[in-house]
Amino acid sequence: MSQVLPEPDAPQATESLSLWEHIKNDRRTLAFVFLLPTTVVLISVVIYPFFFALLISLQVKVAGSPGKFVGFANYLELFRASEFGRVVYNTVFYTFWAVAIKFVIGLAAALVLNQPRRFNNVYRTILFVPWAVPTVIASLNWLWVYDEFNGMLNTLLLSLGLSDNVIAWLAEPETAMWAVIAVVVWNGTPFYTMHFLAGLQAIPRELYEAAEIDGAGHVAQFWHITIPSMMHVFTITVMLSTVFTSTSIVVVNILTNGAPANLTQILPNYSYGLAIESGRLGIGSAVNVVFFPLLVIFIIALTRRMLRREAG
Amino acid sequence: MLKSKAAIDRFYHTLGTVVLVILIVWTLAPLYWMITTSLKETAEVYGEGVTLWPREPTLENYRILFEETNFPVYFRNSLLVAIGTTLLSLVFASLGAYALTRLEFPGRRLFARSLVYTYLMPHSMLFIPLLAIVLRLGLENSLEGLVFVYLGFTVPFCTWLLMGYFMSIPVELEEAAMVDGCSRLGVLFRIVLPLTVPALAVVAFFSFTLSWNEYIYASVLVADVDAKTIPTGIPNFIVEDVFFWGPMMASTFISAIPPLVVYFIFQRFLITGLTMGAVKG
Repeated sequence: MSQVLPEPDAPQATESLSLWEHIKNDRRTLAFVFLLPTTVVLISVVIYPFFFALLISLQVKVAGSPGKFVGFANYLELFRASEFGRVVYNTVFYTFWAVAIKFVIGLAAALVLNQPRRFNNVYRTILFVPWAVPTVIASLNWLWVYDEFNGMLNTLLLSLGLSDNVIAWLAEPETAMWAVIAVVVWNGTPFYTMHFLAGLQAIPRELYEAAEIDGAGHVAQFWHITIPSMMHVFTITVMLSTVFTSTSIVVVNILTNGAPANLTQILPNYSYGLAIESGRLGIGSAVNVVFFPLLVIFIIALTRRMLRREAG
Repeated sequence: MLKSKAAIDRFYHTLGTVVLVILIVWTLAPLYWMITTSLKETAEVYGEGVTLWPREPTLENYRILFEETNFPVYFRNSLLVAIGTTLLSLVFASLGAYALTRLEFPGRRLFARSLVYTYLMPHSMLFIPLLAIVLRLGLENSLEGLVFVYLGFTVPFCTWLLMGYFMSIPVELEEAAMVDGCSRLGVLFRIVLPLTVPALAVVAFFSFTLSWNEYIYASVLVADVDAKTIPTGIPNFIVEDVFFWGPMMASTFISAIPPLVVYFIFQRFLITGLTMGAVKG
C-alpha cells in the first residue's frame, strides 16, 4: 500500500482525486461508466429506431422531411394491395424451405464430419468456407452461375447432354424461387453444420457404447440417442436461423428483386422496394410492423432459451 | 456376427464418403466459377466460346478492376469501416461484459436480457427509421455513420459472448489482484482479457465480417460513390459496363479474401466460441 501525502495547498486536486476514487470504488458508478458506451449505442441505433419505425408506419413520409400523421391508412393500403397476399405466402414458403433444406444438409454434413476419417480438418474447413463468404459476394457469384447463356449451370447441363435448351433460372416462374433458396442454402448451411457438429461432439461416448452392447444398430442409435440428445441444439439453431433467414434482404434483392411478377418477392425486400426505391417510408415501415409479430414469437422463445445459460 | 458388423461400418463409411464428395463439389462449384471467370479473356466469358477452364489465364480483369473502376476506393472504405467497428466493439463489449458479470447494480439482469433482444432485432426492421435519423444528424454518406450503426449489431452479441467467458473465470484471481492494489481497469486488462483471447478472437471475427459484409444499411445510408463500401459498390458494375463479368468476378474474389483469411487464422477459436452462445445450455 502506498502512502498518500496530504496536500493542503491544493484542495481542488484532492476533490477531483476523490471523485475518481469514488468512481473507482463504487460498484454502481463504475458499472454505469463501463456500460455507458453500450447503452448509448443500443438506445440510439436499436431501441429508439424500433419505436420510431412504429411511428413512421402511421405517417406519410419522404426521406429527409417531416412526416404527416395518417393513422392506419398505410396498413389499409397494404392489405388492399393485390400482391400483398402473394408476398406473405412467398415469405413463408421461402423461409420454410430454406430452413428445412439447410437443416437436412447441415445435419448430413455434421454426421459425415463426425465420422473418423483422414484429413477431416481439411474437409471441415472446406465445408465451412461459404459461411465466411459475404452474402453479397455469394449472391453475385450465383447470379453469374445462373446466367442464361454464359453461366456455369447451363453450360454444364448442355455439355453433359442433360438439357437441350438454356434455362433462365431466375426468370422462369417454376425455378426462380428455388434458385433463390439454393443460394440461401449454400451460404447458410455451415451455420447449421457448425452447431450440429458441436452438438454431436458433446454427446457422451458411453451412451453409444452402452447401446452397442445392447445390440442396437446404427439406425437405432441415431433415432434413440443422437436425435434426442440434439433436440436443444436443433431448436436453438432453427429458431435463430428462421429469424435471420426470413428477414434477410440481400439474396432476393441482388438475384431477382422480386421478379418475375412478384413470385420471389418476400416481405423485407418488399419493404425495401417501397421505402427506398419508391421513397415511401411510411408504407415501407408498415410492412415490417405487420411482419414483426410473427418474428416476436421466435424472438421471445429464443431469448428464454439463451437466458437459461445464466441460471444453469 | 462380427464380420457383418464390420461390413455395416464399412457401408456407412463409404456412404459418408459419397455424401462428403457431393457436399464438397456443391460448396466449391460457385467459387470455382468465380475464380476461373476472373482469369479468362472477355471472348471466353461470353457466348459460343464459354469454357469451364480458362484457355490462357490472364490477369487483365484484375488490371481493369484496379485501374479503371472505383474498386480501390470501395476496398479502402470497407477496410476502414470494418477495422473501426471491430476495435470499438472490442472495447465496448469488454467493458460492458465486465460490468455485467462482476459488478452488482440494480437492473443488471434486465440489461443482460435486453442485449439478447437487441441482438435478435431484425436488421430489416430498422433500416427505414435509421435512414430518417442519419439524415437528420447529417451522418449520411459518411463512414463514421456506418460504424455507428454497425455497433448496434455487433455490441449486443459481443457483450453477450464475452459475458459467458468472463463468468467462467474464477473471481478469486481478481480479488487477489485487487488486494495487491490493482484497480478494476487493471484487473480487466491484466487478468480477465488475457484469459479470454479465444473469445476476443470470435468477437473480432464477428464484428469484422459483419461490417465487411453488410449490405442493407450501407445501401440505404450511403449514396455517394466515394463513401461506398464493397457490398454496395460492386453490384453497380452491372450497370456501368456491358462487359463486366470478368472484372466483377475478380472483385468478388478479392472481396472474399479478407474474411476468409481471418477465418483460416481464427478457425479453431471460432468453432468453439461461436457455438457457445447457443449450444451451451
